Amino acid sequence: MHSVATVDHHHEHHHDTDATDVFGFWLYIMTDCILFGTLFAAFLVLNYQGMTPIGLKNYIDLQDVLLETFFLLASNFTFCLAFLSLHKKKLFNTGVWLAITFLLGASFVVLEIREFIHIANEGFRWDFNGQASSFFTLVGTHGFHVSCGLLWILITIIQLPFLKSSTNILERRMTYLGLFWNFLDIVWIFVFTVVYLMGAL
Amino acid sequence: MLTNLIFGNLTLEAIPFHNPIIMGAGLFMVLIAVGIVGLITYYRKWTYILNDWVFSVDHKKIGIMYLILAFVMLLRGFSDVVLMRSQQAIAAGAHHGYLPPEHFDQVFTAHGVIMIFFVAMPMMFALLNMAVPLQIGARDVAYPYLNSLSFWLTFVGAMLCNISLVVGDFAATGWLAYPPLSEIYYSPTAGVDYYIWSLQIAGFGTLFGGINFIATILKMRCPGMTLMKMPIFVWSVLCTMILVALAFPVLTVTLALLELDRFFGMHFFTDFAGGNSMLYINLIWVWGHPEVYILILPAFGIFSEVVATFSQKKLFGYTTMVWAIAIITLLSFIVWLHHFFTMGTGANVNAFFGIMTMLIAIPTGVKIFNWLFTMYRGQIILATPLLWVIAFFTTFAIGGMTGVMMAVPPVDFQVHNSLFLVAHFHNVIIGGVLFGFFAGIIYWFPKAFGFMLDEKWGKRSFVFWVVGFYLAFMPLYIIGLDGFMRRTYHYNNVAYQPYLLVAALGAFCVMIGILCMIIQLYVSIKNREALRDRTGDPWNGRTLEWSVASPAPLYNFAVIPTANEIDSFWYDKQRHLAEGHVHPKDLHFHPIHMPKNTPAGFVIAIFAGIAGFALVWHMLIPGIIGIVGMVAAWVGKTFSTDTDYYIDAETVKETELAHMKQMI
Amino acid sequence: MNQPDFGTGQKKLEIYVFGVISCVILTVIAFGAVMSKWFSIHETFIIIFAAACIQFLVQVLCFLRLNTKTEQARTNVMSILFTLVILVTIVIGSLWIMWNLNYYMMH
Repeated sequence: MHSVATVDHHHEHHHDTDATDVFGFWLYIMTDCILFGTLFAAFLVLNYQGMTPIGLKNYIDLQDVLLETFFLLASNFTFCLAFLSLHKKKLFNTGVWLAITFLLGASFVVLEIREFIHIANEGFRWDFNGQASSFFTLVGTHGFHVSCGLLWILITIIQLPFLKSSTNILERRMTYLGLFWNFLDIVWIFVFTVVYLMGAL
Repeated sequence: MLTNLIFGNLTLEAIPFHNPIIMGAGLFMVLIAVGIVGLITYYRKWTYILNDWVFSVDHKKIGIMYLILAFVMLLRGFSDVVLMRSQQAIAAGAHHGYLPPEHFDQVFTAHGVIMIFFVAMPMMFALLNMAVPLQIGARDVAYPYLNSLSFWLTFVGAMLCNISLVVGDFAATGWLAYPPLSEIYYSPTAGVDYYIWSLQIAGFGTLFGGINFIATILKMRCPGMTLMKMPIFVWSVLCTMILVALAFPVLTVTLALLELDRFFGMHFFTDFAGGNSMLYINLIWVWGHPEVYILILPAFGIFSEVVATFSQKKLFGYTTMVWAIAIITLLSFIVWLHHFFTMGTGANVNAFFGIMTMLIAIPTGVKIFNWLFTMYRGQIILATPLLWVIAFFTTFAIGGMTGVMMAVPPVDFQVHNSLFLVAHFHNVIIGGVLFGFFAGIIYWFPKAFGFMLDEKWGKRSFVFWVVGFYLAFMPLYIIGLDGFMRRTYHYNNVAYQPYLLVAALGAFCVMIGILCMIIQLYVSIKNREALRDRTGDPWNGRTLEWSVASPAPLYNFAVIPTANEIDSFWYDKQRHLAEGHVHPKDLHFHPIHMPKNTPAGFVIAIFAGIAGFALVWHMLIPGIIGIVGMVAAWVGKTFSTDTDYYIDAETVKETELAHMKQMI
Repeated sequence: MNQPDFGTGQKKLEIYVFGVISCVILTVIAFGAVMSKWFSIHETFIIIFAAACIQFLVQVLCFLRLNTKTEQARTNVMSILFTLVILVTIVIGSLWIMWNLNYYMMH
């Protein structure tokens, strides 16, 4: 197994700790899985009390959700392209792909907020009943994570010129961001399936 | 308008000026704080305290700070005990005691919250921080900066709980704050919000600690130390941290949902408008059961270390010990319903969880037998750590047996929420967790501070604690079985009073025990030269932490050791003794790469505290400042590339030679 | 200079393209099944869940690049498997308990 190097070349020492750092972020992602899992459990219980679905059906617009899904999926792909550019040390391309990822992700968030405002105005507000509370909280927590990711992408773009010379730090941080961004798309698969598709059945 | 945005619901009325007990306690806290600040200023130690301790990322210093926090909060949690036991001893029949029910309710709530979150968990992290990196031959944990953040978040959570004593009130709902009582309608004051935010903040600290130690143990073991050659304490910590990582997110979500109910009027757990309060109880115990295993597993690990060291014999059944820990870890996730057998689930569900609960006693039994077999035919040294272990065997076994009794749903229907239950969990927590942590503290104290703790006062504190524990809790089993319920500030049947008087006497004995511990600390510091640990190996230990000086140097190991077998340090010692001299080792020292201290962890935690306090009182502007401050501090730190430095070879050489000179 | 082992596979454009196209197809299948109402409720339910699980696997293998080639990668796989086991236990366990409670206590 790895060990903390005592005397190794400075460069290699950084690589050893890089692998440990990325593993730590992976562990954080695992805890976030459980966090979302609990929110799903609460959503399912409150929306399917005694196994009869109620309520949310009237407020779902599946075309909107499909569009959001494509935006998020596309942003996932463009992020991978950003990563490939970084690997090839083309920092300008990295910045461009990151900016496109940001725009796609922001479109997702904007659509989602519009949807929330629309549903709330129809009377299905988060304080209306248990189903509404769990809907807004589950989908909203995912949206909040995406928004934090957007802020992170912005900071990464800003930091690109600062960290030009330490590409291993950049690679490590992009790896974190990549894990985070991919993870959010994976959670979204289950959000749209369980909340929207199941709800519209 | 502006005052509303700044102060929210906070007014001067939040401070209970008319209540002498609270005002006295508050004044006491303020005097202590002023005293500490005054002393540091008088001795001009601010730079030292800030740079070397507050901003430290060194696991050993962080461990010591956790221990100090735990002990201070132990005193606060124990004062709750004194209040409760004295109230119950006198409030029989016509007398109603001196604590009105709304106060008594806050006292038992605060007692539970403080003991679990701000005494037991910090004590655990103190021991993990001190021992784990040294035992695996590492220089520090995987993420030293995150370690600092974890401590300060826990500290801030504890302070938020302490502030609630004087500004506002605390939750009066029991330590798990079940709805609907904890909803805004039945608990309109700030109390439950204090509860939620102090636990959320401390909870993040714990979660980060979990991630930190999993990565440390899996990625930073010294060469040769495969997983099956680690000390058993490290195994128990690994499994504990896995429990932390998987269970604490559930607590975070559940408390967040309760807060959403209170703050935004949502309906997760309300008993109308489609909410379900039983959902809260279900989710909180999904966290709550793994939590108690998080507390006990490290104690089991400590027992393995102490038993082997003080029997001067290899631990019996290493492999079965590892399997037992792993099985306990897995099973602890599928027993949680036994905390609410009586809530209304049917026979199938109750039977399933009852059987699972009984199963979990089996690996625990395997461990106890392994410890006994280790002691059998060993050369026993009856030092205080081993005394705590022996007390644990009997005490925990009794507590475990009553647990297995309650695992049977029909029995549980009789004793659920009675003093029988209260006696059971104190039995296993005090007899298991606390006795284990005390053993660990005495065992590793020399490594942390460079001198031993006084044996005489250690043995005295032990006697008072054990006698006190039995006096305090055995009567509770009896009257609990008879139907005496928990959390009652008064009772009509005076026949119960003698039992509660004995219990109060027990609490008094424990208080003497704590006093003995304080005296022990004072005497040990006074006599530290006589008690000094010159060799770094005061107990003739078996594991790697005893191969370095006491206190351990900043970098832990001048040369990262190689571990080719279990208890490699012990066998190296035997080989050296056989050869007749100590190898000075090829004295070739290299510069050592170390992480730099940073104020970031402390600063982020302070902003978290400001945000928490602001959220409790709905203070919009301070809340925004708190949250923005946290994010800004965190992001700002990422721009910094000056995060490490080298200790030059000369310094390392001098430190090591000084240690070797001491040993001669 | 040796590359650090992050436990993720080699990054290749072809794999990402394959991944994103598969995900689009699976998403369209799922949404299509619900919006077109071609199948019975039962069948649609199975389709959307199967599509979700398959898309989950595609994303984990193609985007997260999870594999078992190196030591770290195997550790990552074990941790995600264990997390999923616990997650499923929590969700299914809670559903079972809450359904049972609803049946006995809410009628």
